[in-house]
Amino acid sequence: MTTFAPADLTGLPRVIVRPATFRRLVAAEWVKLRSLRSTWWMLAVGTLFLPLFAVSRTASIAQVPEAVGSSSMVGAVYVTSGVALAQLVFCTLGVLTVTAEYGSGQIRATLVAAPTRLPVLGAKVLMTVGTVVAASMVGVALAWAGSARWFEATGMSIDLTRAEDLRILLGVPLYLAAATALACGIGAVVRHSAAGIAAVLGLLLVVENGLGAIPWTPLQTFAAHLPSSAGTRLLQSDAVGSVITTSSTTMLSPWEGFAVMLGWVLVALGVAAVLLRRKDA
Amino acid sequence: MIEAMGLTKKYGEKTAVDGISFTVRPGVVTGFLGPNGAGKSTTMRMIVGLDRPTAGTVTVNGRPYAQHRAPLGEVGVLLDAKGVHPGRTAREHLVAQATTHGIRSRRVDHVIEITGLASVAHKRAGTFSLGMGQRLGIANALLGDPHTLILDEPVNGLDPEGVVWVRTLLRALAAEGRTVLLSSHLMSEMALTADQLIVLGRGQVIADAPLKEIVARAQTTTVRVRTPAVAALTALLRRPGTEVTSVEADELDVTGLSAQDIADAAASAGIALYGLTPVQQSLEDAYMQLTAEAVEYRSFAPLPTAGGSR
Repeated sequence: MTTFAPADLTGLPRVIVRPATFRRLVAAEWVKLRSLRSTWWMLAVGTLFLPLFAVSRTASIAQVPEAVGSSSMVGAVYVTSGVALAQLVFCTLGVLTVTAEYGSGQIRATLVAAPTRLPVLGAKVLMTVGTVVAASMVGVALAWAGSARWFEATGMSIDLTRAEDLRILLGVPLYLAAATALACGIGAVVRHSAAGIAAVLGLLLVVENGLGAIPWTPLQTFAAHLPSSAGTRLLQSDAVGSVITTSSTTMLSPWEGFAVMLGWVLVALGVAAVLLRRKDA
Repeated sequence: MIEAMGLTKKYGEKTAVDGISFTVRPGVVTGFLGPNGAGKSTTMRMIVGLDRPTAGTVTVNGRPYAQHRAPLGEVGVLLDAKGVHPGRTAREHLVAQATTHGIRSRRVDHVIEITGLASVAHKRAGTFSLGMGQRLGIANALLGDPHTLILDEPVNGLDPEGVVWVRTLLRALAAEGRTVLLSSHLMSEMALTADQLIVLGRGQVIADAPLKEIVARAQTTTVRVRTPAVAALTALLRRPGTEVTSVEADELDVTGLSAQDIADAAASAGIALYGLTPVQQSLEDAYMQLTAEAVEYRSFAPLPTAGGSR
């Protein structure tokens, strides 16, 4: 049984309390992120999707002799094909880092420590996105290393001095970072775990694919400018069409596409920031 | 020091806090008392900037809470025991809070120790009982060694030993010259802990005075009289400002006269008295009396001077 110690306040060293700077808020967000088991599960699952898909796709293509040597066999595209699933896990992490605070009441402790509020959102997004970037770089490295043994059999290769290969491989952490930031923003807007996850996954899986599948050009053009469709341009090879989305009507260049995605991220975080400032916690 | 001026909070049409002004001074324990829905928690949330006031201002140690660069060093807050992510251990929760203000882990271990959480510090907060959660909340409030403490129902769910500990701690903190504001629905607890009372009813301050004064002001002198001549005594004592109610066949409750007055009157009329007992009023009675009148006394109306002719 636990007991309270006597309330002896005399003779204690003076407690050192420093201002709640942005750097300290980021450090605190790291403590919060790392101290939840679910964080590590999600990071592990999301990261492992990358080598898992890379290995299974390259290995299975190696079984199809007639595919070998085809110009559409872009190594970087196959190595990064797990992004479609990894993003779902990392986006869930992004939503939960924000909404779990509202669900548990933790947000009140958080905002009492940082009453100007906006730095908290910044620190949280920075920490979550940074972690996802690190995890996805590990994932890409594992995917490349894991699938390299089938490169010869499939006629594929990855050469970082080729601009496109570099862009696609770097595109994985960049795209996943943007997707996670978008998820954090949506989570901060809706403040509810189930609603936040439903909104993000609904957008990525249903809305974007659904709209892109409707054969009406203005709608398809709009769908191509939605965050995931635009952002995944970064992961597509000029030699092959889209790997992730069904829409191939986009006129956006890879970096234009990514810029459009970042625009969505800024909108989501902007709305989140305004609501965080205005609404009661 | 907490100073509120015309503090108002409306949720749509509903007014939770209606233009209240009060000052919580350092060096004493101030109790926030009121029935459910009186606006105690909403006021506390506005003090620390969680809720935005619809009108009015509130400052802590001279400035709005959000303007403090190191707020945890100024104010320690316990709002509800559930303000912790259930998946995090008690210590990790405190370390995260401490990290925002560069507070050393030695201080974290110290507050864990004094709140009796040492044996469960590495257990996840989701497994905590209400009392454990309350201890964690108190540990969290003490983290920055703040000048001002704001505690919403701190003894809620604590075992008797914990209740005594909180009482002793708050009194010690106030004695050091700190500002302590606590709310409680346990009036007996308030009577033992608080020096000053702010009574809220329907979002308004209905009393703001030293505890003793509130009890005394609301006190009506009721004397229980036992006599064989109930009817004769009733007729004798019934005059303006005095209330006589019969309790039992041979017992009366007399309000508005002292025991001495009753004895003198009975003696001069030749009525025998078998018992004459002043009935002590508690804070609880005073409180019920105050809050029952919350509808009537909408603003800073003076307290009713009880009794009448004495």
